[in-house]
Amino acid sequence: MTDTEETAMPASESDPPAMIRLEELTKVYPGSEEPAVDAVTMDIPEGEIVVLVGPSGCGKTTTLKMINRIVEPTSGRIRLEGEDVTNVDPDRLRRRIGYVIQQVGLFPHRTIAQNVGTVPKLLGWDKQAIEQRTDELLELVGMDPATYRSRFPKELSGGQRQRVGVARAMAADPPVMLMDEPFGAIDPITRDRLQNEFLRLQEDIEKTIVFVTHDIDEAIKMGDRIAIFGNDHRIQQYDTPEMLLSNPVNEFVDAFTGTGASLKRLNLTRVRDVALSDWPTAAADSPREELQRQLGEAEHSFLLLLDRGQRPLRWVSERDLARPDWTPRGGLKVRAVVEPHVTLHDALDEMLTSNVGVATVVDERGSYQGVVDIDTVMTAVNAMRAETRERVRVAPWHGVAASDVADASEARS
Amino acid sequence: MSRGASSSTPGVGGPPAWGTVRASQRGRAILRDPARVWQYFGIPVVVVVAVTLTVTFVSGQELISREERALNPDLLLALGLQHVRLGLTVVFWVLVLSIPLGVMLTRPWAKPYAPAFIAVANAGQAIPSFGLMVLFAIWIGTGETAAVAATVAYCILPVLRNTMVGLNQVDPSIIEAARGMGMTKRGVLLQIELPLSVPVMLAGVRTALILAIGTITLGALIGAGTFGRTINAGIIGFSDPVLVTGAVAAASLALLVDWAAGIVEDFVRPKGL
Repeated sequence: MTDTEETAMPASESDPPAMIRLEELTKVYPGSEEPAVDAVTMDIPEGEIVVLVGPSGCGKTTTLKMINRIVEPTSGRIRLEGEDVTNVDPDRLRRRIGYVIQQVGLFPHRTIAQNVGTVPKLLGWDKQAIEQRTDELLELVGMDPATYRSRFPKELSGGQRQRVGVARAMAADPPVMLMDEPFGAIDPITRDRLQNEFLRLQEDIEKTIVFVTHDIDEAIKMGDRIAIFGNDHRIQQYDTPEMLLSNPVNEFVDAFTGTGASLKRLNLTRVRDVALSDWPTAAADSPREELQRQLGEAEHSFLLLLDRGQRPLRWVSERDLARPDWTPRGGLKVRAVVEPHVTLHDALDEMLTSNVGVATVVDERGSYQGVVDIDTVMTAVNAMRAETRERVRVAPWHGVAASDVADASEARS
Repeated sequence: MSRGASSSTPGVGGPPAWGTVRASQRGRAILRDPARVWQYFGIPVVVVVAVTLTVTFVSGQELISREERALNPDLLLALGLQHVRLGLTVVFWVLVLSIPLGVMLTRPWAKPYAPAFIAVANAGQAIPSFGLMVLFAIWIGTGETAAVAATVAYCILPVLRNTMVGLNQVDPSIIEAARGMGMTKRGVLLQIELPLSVPVMLAGVRTALILAIGTITLGALIGAGTFGRTINAGIIGFSDPVLVTGAVAAASLALLVDWAAGIVEDFVRPKGL
């Protein structure tokens, strides 16, 4: 980390301007020799999710908490929208920055509406504006305002509390949100759903988000960029997930991103981004002879029956059609149905549980779009590999890592 | 819940959230709980029975004139009012002294001094209350002031300790979230920490109230008139009717005060906890 200028600019020319800039930010806790965060310099571009990830005690959380000065930096500067905020009044600064923590920290003696309205009230909004904003936000995070606004936090589940936590952080529409392991204490199924919902939300709100996690899979899923912190309390690599997975700058990053990098890369592509395969389909109310004829012409051993709304109904084989008691309710139930926004990783997972070996893709209304099969996945993986190789070749600007990256890509080819 | 109902809930620019109790709603909930019904109506019934029995017992006795004077209803009423007034004065000073002290001693900068203050408060309670009364009487002179001061010293500990415990048990992540949203330290204390400590603090206040009503009875010995004076008159005059009247009156008063405090406690506890 000798060349500060270039570490701060991991982005190419087309990148959005920096919303947050950290310059040589260092924290040494009193009574400790070793810094908890050692001269971290980074740019956080507007409208992106930047994930800080690393092992316990690497300084990722301390770095996050220095941005809103819950932890006061020992040295270095913090700039927010170009303005040096290292020494401004922290209370005023924090009202401009959304803050979500793992334990949520809802106020138990206040209703959900009062919790969400905390920052607007601090900013002196009038009562009606606060109420309107509160309802709007509850709606946005998928909680019916009429049902929930007068409830108390103890009446909600963990997932619902975290939704309220996110709504509360967004209340005064801050341009920046800091999220400290927001989904860390939630069961895996709910966590997955909240992550997806949050990503969909982010497409609309386009906030600048700094997100801390210790889970590299979550980092890859959520991050537009990822900064990996090492045990030396410095950033090892600050890069897009693709680059991180295909070109780790050192052994630490390689080990941290872990084995199964190819599988993880499937998290970077969504079903809507790939060309779907076709599958022979037929209307469920067609006569049996017609279905048999169509299946005979097809290269597959199953035919997909659709209802009148083009929604997938059953898989039928030749054997099913030959049964004397054949009805359109025969055959296999269609499992593994996915929507276009899911990742290829999840689609592959569904595919493996499907009885036919493909994941069926439907749009929001449930009508059939095509299928994802093993060929779709292989094509996507190959395309991604080619793309990163291309980027590494044309982008030798990588300050810290330029030589390492070149070595790595040479070693690979 | 209609929009109108929610907007009638203050908290937005209104009084602090723990003032927003919907009393009638809570009252109904309490009446459905048999244990609560017993707590709310049992104590008054016990007191009424005890007082009735005492009146029956006393009116069946031949009273000499000294006893007649000690049991004069006007005098008893005056002593009762004085007893309550002194007890409440004690609690007022206990609150005024120990809540700010408790808040101060839980601030990070003052934590090192907390053990010293707790030790002094402990000493106040460790000295037998009668001894404390006498010491204050020697220092200040006999009368109400000395009695109140001695009882205050005796009652500070529960409120001080519960204020500190109450503030320390507030989940640090709630405070971090509040600070992280830009609430000032003062705002966090007044709007988050204190309301969340109310249940624990109230338990301490209730204990102090009972202690005060009980201990101030001894004030009669240093010239502060309370039901203690009736008891004392009964002891000195070897008079069972006077002694029993004084004792039952003091005990009934303590029970009724505890009963009232319990009801208040139920209603001022913040909702949602």
